[in-house]
Amino acid sequence: MTTAERAAYSLESQLARFRIMNAWWIRLTCYTLSIVLLLGAWQALGNSFGVLFVPFTTTIGRLWEMLRSGPLLPGLAVSGELYAVTLAINIVVGVSVGLLLARSKLVAAAFEPYIYILYATPTISLVPFVSVMLGFEFGSRVLVAVLISIFPILIGVTEGARSIPRQHLDVAAIFGSSESQLWRDVIVPYVTPYAMSGIKQSIALSMVGTLVAEFFLNPDGVAAVLLQGTTIVDSGWVLAVTIFICAIAVVLVGVGELIEWYLVRWRHTAVG
Amino acid sequence: MATYSSWIDTPAVRSWGSGLPRERVAPVVAGAVLLVIWEVWVRTRLPDFVARPSGIVMAIPSTMADLEFWFDVTATLGAIVKGVAIGSAGGILIGIAMGRVREIDWFLSTYIRALYALPLIALVPIVILWVGYQPAARLIIIVISVFLPVAVTTADGTRAISKDYLDVGKIFGARTHNVWFGIALPSSLPFIVAGIELGFARGITNAIAVEVLASVNGMGMSVFTKSNELNENASLVYVLCLAIFAVGIRSLMIRFRCWLAPWSSR
Repeated sequence: MTTAERAAYSLESQLARFRIMNAWWIRLTCYTLSIVLLLGAWQALGNSFGVLFVPFTTTIGRLWEMLRSGPLLPGLAVSGELYAVTLAINIVVGVSVGLLLARSKLVAAAFEPYIYILYATPTISLVPFVSVMLGFEFGSRVLVAVLISIFPILIGVTEGARSIPRQHLDVAAIFGSSESQLWRDVIVPYVTPYAMSGIKQSIALSMVGTLVAEFFLNPDGVAAVLLQGTTIVDSGWVLAVTIFICAIAVVLVGVGELIEWYLVRWRHTAVG
Repeated sequence: MATYSSWIDTPAVRSWGSGLPRERVAPVVAGAVLLVIWEVWVRTRLPDFVARPSGIVMAIPSTMADLEFWFDVTATLGAIVKGVAIGSAGGILIGIAMGRVREIDWFLSTYIRALYALPLIALVPIVILWVGYQPAARLIIIVISVFLPVAVTTADGTRAISKDYLDVGKIFGARTHNVWFGIALPSSLPFIVAGIELGFARGITNAIAVEVLASVNGMGMSVFTKSNELNENASLVYVLCLAIFAVGIRSLMIRFRCWLAPWSSR
């Protein structure tokens, strides 16, 4: 080893040591730095670009103003209703159809190919067809949103129920379980994690579905508020609504992760 | 005595080759019944312009003979392929960096997580505002739709590398670029392909969304304009092509993964 190599090696190991010893501080610095840098860059760019890209502070001001006396909260109420109905239908229909597909070989054989084709088809392209068949009302909005967001639950439940080990069913049979006991003791606990990971995805996707339905079937709700900003070329408006939607999305995804963690917490301890 | 071993049936797909004949006939019968219900429903209850299976089949030759159709196909599919290429290259690079260097992960994760949670369709208006009602808006949205899932899955895959590989690399004096592209990249390939698969699906959807919202010519735009011209059958021909493309990409990606990373195929 030459002197230079030794020096380089010692520097490298010191750096590695430093990174391990101060992990917490480095982490905190990274998070702070990333936020400060982005907001600073936004502010600076905004100040030089003007109309098309307003600074961060202006955007937050706009957001506050729109929340207090703007169209945002009424829009949110409209979107929230669509979102809630969509998610409820996804869970009820997704879980029951998923179990049905796992239970009956014939139904699965008959319809599974079409379910997968429908899943792969970009649902947005079906919007004109849905609107011709059902109009632009709440029903067709719900249908579009559900078509976008139901499949993770449906497919997750089917896969989960199919993977129940034979031994579990045999043990239930040996102990003379009735059909209801079988459901309570074996099927529901086994399928729950699969259903929950589907529901977690569906919580996020239902929001996509809600926005798509509102964008493309006569604008309504939060999507309409967003589009309004584009029409009047007001970047502060559009940025404020986009950040608002992003905040809601982050919260919803967090809630989904929390519910999943809570319902399948026995898994962490049981399996390790 | 009650047995429950038959409670759950084996997957239908598995029984296709050797299973009961009725399970091979079932999808055909179900498909035919669905098509007949659709056809009869439209013929008896809905106005003449509404799409129905026979009308769609009749509309295929005239739609495909139109030069406009091929312009739309090349514009949309070209943008998707280009966007997927750019987005996945960027995603792989950033993903490996995030998976290998904790500081980069901490620095970027706030934004990646926030954007990953955000329905990207909500970004369309601001992108339109910045770049205008242009095809560039479509490309940007596709690139973002692919970049995010690829970056996230690649980072996950890179973090999951077995420590043995890294130790062997170290013993043989691997340098940083050897570790990144010689160990991390190949071992996270299954994750990367899964990310690209997800990105493709989102890219197709978002491409259509941008086309309609920004009036950019392409297949998605034509689905809507043909429908507005009450030419529903032609509109559904476009939908059919998009569906075939989406299904085709999906099966291609599964094969691609088996070929690229045979050890991970189940």
